[in-house]
Amino acid sequence: MANLNIDTRDNRTYDAIVIGSGISGGWTAKELCEKGLKTLVLERGRDVKHVKDYPTTNLYPWEFEHRNELPYAVKQENPIVNRCYAFHEDAAHFFVKDKEHPYVQEKPFDWIRGYQVGGKSLLWARQTQRWSDFDFEGPARDGFAVDWPIRYADIKPWYDHVERFAGIAGDRDGLPELPDGEFLPAYPLNIVEKYFKQQVEQKYPERKVISARCAHLSHANQIHIDQGRVKCQNRTLCQRGCPFGGYFSSNASTLPWAAKTGNMTLRPNSVVHSILYDESKGKAIGVKVIDKDSKEEIDFFAKVIFLNAAALNSNLLLLNSTSQRFPNGLGNDSGTLGKYVAFHNYSARISAEYEGYLDYKTDGRNPAGGGYIPRFRNLHKQETDYLRGYAAGFGAYRSSYSDESGLGISLKESILNPKLGNWGVGSHMMGETIPKASNYVALDGKEKDEWGMPLLRVSVDYDDNDNKMKKDYLDTMEEMFLAAGFKNIQRNDAWQAPGLDIHEMGGVRMGLDPKTSMLNKWHQLHACKNVYVTDGSSMTSTSTQNPSLTYMAFAARAVDHAVSELKKGNL
Amino acid sequence: MNRRTALKQFFVLAGGIWIASSCDFSAEAPSIALKQIKLTKADEELLAELLETIIPKTDSPGAKDLKLHLFVMKMVDDCESPENQEAFLKGLKAVPKPQNNPQTELMSYLEGLPKDDVFLRILKRRGIQGYKNSEYVMKNKLIYELVPARYDGALKIKA
Repeated sequence: MANLNIDTRDNRTYDAIVIGSGISGGWTAKELCEKGLKTLVLERGRDVKHVKDYPTTNLYPWEFEHRNELPYAVKQENPIVNRCYAFHEDAAHFFVKDKEHPYVQEKPFDWIRGYQVGGKSLLWARQTQRWSDFDFEGPARDGFAVDWPIRYADIKPWYDHVERFAGIAGDRDGLPELPDGEFLPAYPLNIVEKYFKQQVEQKYPERKVISARCAHLSHANQIHIDQGRVKCQNRTLCQRGCPFGGYFSSNASTLPWAAKTGNMTLRPNSVVHSILYDESKGKAIGVKVIDKDSKEEIDFFAKVIFLNAAALNSNLLLLNSTSQRFPNGLGNDSGTLGKYVAFHNYSARISAEYEGYLDYKTDGRNPAGGGYIPRFRNLHKQETDYLRGYAAGFGAYRSSYSDESGLGISLKESILNPKLGNWGVGSHMMGETIPKASNYVALDGKEKDEWGMPLLRVSVDYDDNDNKMKKDYLDTMEEMFLAAGFKNIQRNDAWQAPGLDIHEMGGVRMGLDPKTSMLNKWHQLHACKNVYVTDGSSMTSTSTQNPSLTYMAFAARAVDHAVSELKKGNL
Repeated sequence: MNRRTALKQFFVLAGGIWIASSCDFSAEAPSIALKQIKLTKADEELLAELLETIIPKTDSPGAKDLKLHLFVMKMVDDCESPENQEAFLKGLKAVPKPQNNPQTELMSYLEGLPKDDVFLRILKRRGIQGYKNSEYVMKNKLIYELVPARYDGALKIKA
């Protein structure tokens, strides 16, 4: 008689398990499935299908009940996520609300999360700059954290690989600090951005202003068409999810690709509680899942496990995966798990006006957002009284205004006939921060969430290095703005809590030495080789460049390693 | 009639009363449901006149045509703080009921208010917001493009 019991362990066993479906989890899933592994992708949030589950994507402004403003009560109930620039009526459904998933702030930390299939890849700012050896060699040269176990040459082929598939628009600028890649045509700088570029590069030859590189299809190659994506239509409504697949997200790109192989099982609403470690086998054998809705506990099994839950949640999950062998969290022989958390210092902006090129304006919208100033401080040698440096965004826009002081016919006429003003220019800093043991996350000893997971305690703060760097950014940008003839310069010492940069990294860092790090150069836990961690938690240092592209490349490289190790019988 | 039937009828009756009391069909109720602020139909009509004074019908639609008063009511109800809601209601109640020529009378009243009057500030801000973001203006006057499909960073303005 046939076995009618479908809930056998065999039915819950896969070749590989991927925890998380965001930007790195999506890549992990695609690579595993393409290589023929039966892969279970676990996502704690609900399913979000490309296009079908983008409810606001084609709405006009007047079709929003509050014209894209959020109600007062929603803002009051969500002081943390409300500080995120993209939290509005059109995308609020993709953000975790403060009360849904509490955490403990030992120091102010704005933890911005997207719990759904695709995670924050739906919401990201899509800036994709490669890291270079100036970044990977940073800790060793400047004596902080630990040495990265890899260099640019290790990751370069994987940047090439992910860029071709994701679609990255950019110029080949020939800068060693920001290596060129497999680019689609760049979005051009506008006339005032170009003017600033010329002024800066003439007066400060070591500083560059380039077109921001971004994950948008400025042109759709066959590989993108095969994904069902077409050229970006310059809507700049990306946070709603894009019906054209104009920007890269797990939902538009890697997950449907993985599904097409027939090898992927996607299980949304699956809160991973812990990774199961078998003491006798000396390796991980699966994961314990709590069903989000029924709260039922289910174990799944696989030969290899990829942890891609996003930086802080990957820390939480390893800390919560305890066994006799690992009483302080899976793979935590070094005691570094949860420590050396770092982020990007986004806490200063500067703006001004420019009175030239008043016979020009822009037309349409630029999804790249404008220009990018790669790090120039302390690049070749230590020059300042602080370590490392900053990159900066730079953008110019032609302002328009209408006099709204009147009433009646004059007011109406004024509103309907806006006048062009000066050009507005602005920049924001993206500073590297130094990972320290004192910036950490840990499990709360008492409080648990409704799935029985301990709350995460977050203790992350700026330091003196960050404050000195911020002052230098403001002084230096002001000097460059003055040199370009910009007027009405406004320095904005815009303190914001760490976390709001949404570039939190570390806690499960890579390193050469198992005594001082968690992961080896292949992203395997030193002490549990069939667990790979390839999201932001694996970062040894933060660089100044946006990290997502590097997570993608890390994920693809780690899968390649895992599959070859499986073939050799090493896992 | 047993106890169960009696109870059932009681609940049906009570439910009916509850439904009746939550649906106010009197002339006094405004035309949209409000959660936080209380407005009467007369308040709504006055608000419509005030907004028409601010953004009048000319050769293009004005505030009444675009139902801006309903938008302003919605925004004050959902998006303003309790303090602003209170100041708004107080300001609205203080407006003298127009007699013969509402637009002229209301214009001189609004012009007489101090520039920093909270009621006037909210009324204008929300009215202008509703106007600029109305389907009419975005389709016919200040055109909003959902799908621009282009970017030109240096468009020469025709003299």
